[in-house]
Amino acid sequence: MTTDTFDGLRTHDWMRRFAELVYATEAELTALDQQAGDGDFGTNLAAGVSAAGPLLDRMGGPVGPAEPLGAMATAFLDEIGGTSGPLFGLLFQALSRAAAGSGPTLTTAALAEGATQGLAAIRRVGDASPGDKTLVDALTPAVAALRAAEGASPATALAAAADGAWQGVRDTASLTARMGRASYLGERASGIPDPGAVGVALFFASANGAVRALAPAPEPG
Amino acid sequence: MAGYFENGPGDLVPDALSGFARAHADLVAHDPVDGFFTARHSSAARRVGLLSGGGSGHEPLHAGYVGAGMLDAACPGRVFASPHNRQIFRASGAVAGPEGVLHIVKNYTGDRINFGIAAERLADAGIACARVLVDDDLASDSEGVAAGRRGTGATMLVEKVLGGAADTGMGLDALAELGTAVTSRCRTLAAASAAHHAPATGEPAFGLLPGELEYGVGIHGERADRTRSQGRVGALVEDMAGALLDALRPGPDDPVVALVNGLGSVTSLELYGIFGELGRVLDARRVRLARHLVGNYVTALDMRGFSLTLMVADGDTLDFYDAPVRTPALSW
Repeated sequence: MTTDTFDGLRTHDWMRRFAELVYATEAELTALDQQAGDGDFGTNLAAGVSAAGPLLDRMGGPVGPAEPLGAMATAFLDEIGGTSGPLFGLLFQALSRAAAGSGPTLTTAALAEGATQGLAAIRRVGDASPGDKTLVDALTPAVAALRAAEGASPATALAAAADGAWQGVRDTASLTARMGRASYLGERASGIPDPGAVGVALFFASANGAVRALAPAPEPG
Repeated sequence: MAGYFENGPGDLVPDALSGFARAHADLVAHDPVDGFFTARHSSAARRVGLLSGGGSGHEPLHAGYVGAGMLDAACPGRVFASPHNRQIFRASGAVAGPEGVLHIVKNYTGDRINFGIAAERLADAGIACARVLVDDDLASDSEGVAAGRRGTGATMLVEKVLGGAADTGMGLDALAELGTAVTSRCRTLAAASAAHHAPATGEPAFGLLPGELEYGVGIHGERADRTRSQGRVGALVEDMAGALLDALRPGPDDPVVALVNGLGSVTSLELYGIFGELGRVLDARRVRLARHLVGNYVTALDMRGFSLTLMVADGDTLDFYDAPVRTPALSW
């Protein structure tokens, strides 16, 4: 069904595919987080897309791309406890805000702008920098890819963002956490990719309907 | 076992919030959905809403300071857990003035993140928001602590001073600057002879031998870097006040506000004895004790301990502190 245009319907479909991908990988995300965090990330992400479900269902009539993204933002910000879920909500909020300014279809420029603002908000709130083994490590290369894709179609740009995010995920496996719950484990959590970073990669990967292997196998050590 | 008087596990906070709402219905309104409190009365001159919040277990902080001359809203979380960003976001929207809303946040990771998320949502909604981070705890003042000093007893003093300033019509940026400056002129030290008991288990948060003292304890039972023998209270207060004065170095003409604060289970008898000792130390060091509070203002459940806070009230700070206030826990 790949068309290169991200109108409201296609964006709505992207959110649906993300939800399916989250449900399909919830157990694996939980297993990852049990090794490196407090084990609730998969559950929180699933709770977020689940809370978004009714909001997406209720969206009758023609909508722009900002509305499905806004529904995700509301669900993740309002309904999910802990901190990682609401931080995803900030990414959705910024994408929705940028989409609202880009008219009836998402432009690559709007995606780049929204993701940039979302990353900035997440970094302000979480005080996390690249290299701290958080979702910032996947979102940073995804943003760079979106910005570099200027002139390309949104579908192509989002595919590049997914590739960048997966590379970031692989990098987190070799990092020692400085922030978040995994920071208490120090070296013990090295070799394990950050589940929040995986969540970011799943989000961009689901834009083109792609379902990839959840995460690279942990490197030994 | 502590034997908390409660209906069942998890009932402590919601039952207390509804009781508080009824007890002080003339001063505060309770939002039934998001659980925050808002002031029923506020100065017409106020252009910025003042909001604070944090985990429950520190009563009367923060809801006890909602009312005319102090906070416009407070967001209580569960015991020792940050409020949710949704509570903060909605309470902020409810009390924002024409120049926005100021968040007064104790320096803990969970509070910083949840207030931060709410601030990003407010920005998205077009509501101006600024933050004052309260970090007065001298015991956690160390280069090695990346999270920085904890926010403790000074929080209520900062809330009072900002309330007085907000009632003069001061704008958002000026209030944020004032709050940060006032915080930098406040330091607190706490000591406990017994830990609080966790409501969920009834167990003490840490163990001390008889006669031992946790010197520099946090308001969630964070352990100090050392224990010491309890000894005479005069010597203890002299050490604590000495450390605070060394950190603050007030000039001989600077007015100082002292807060002698019970952490939950210390008697008024003891607190007044402690205040007497503090007064003697300040007199001997020729510190100008301008105002004082003695009582339970920022507690830690039923911890058997107390904290001393000193605030150097330079500039207009003392006028803002003296301004009228009418809240459930503080009135003059």
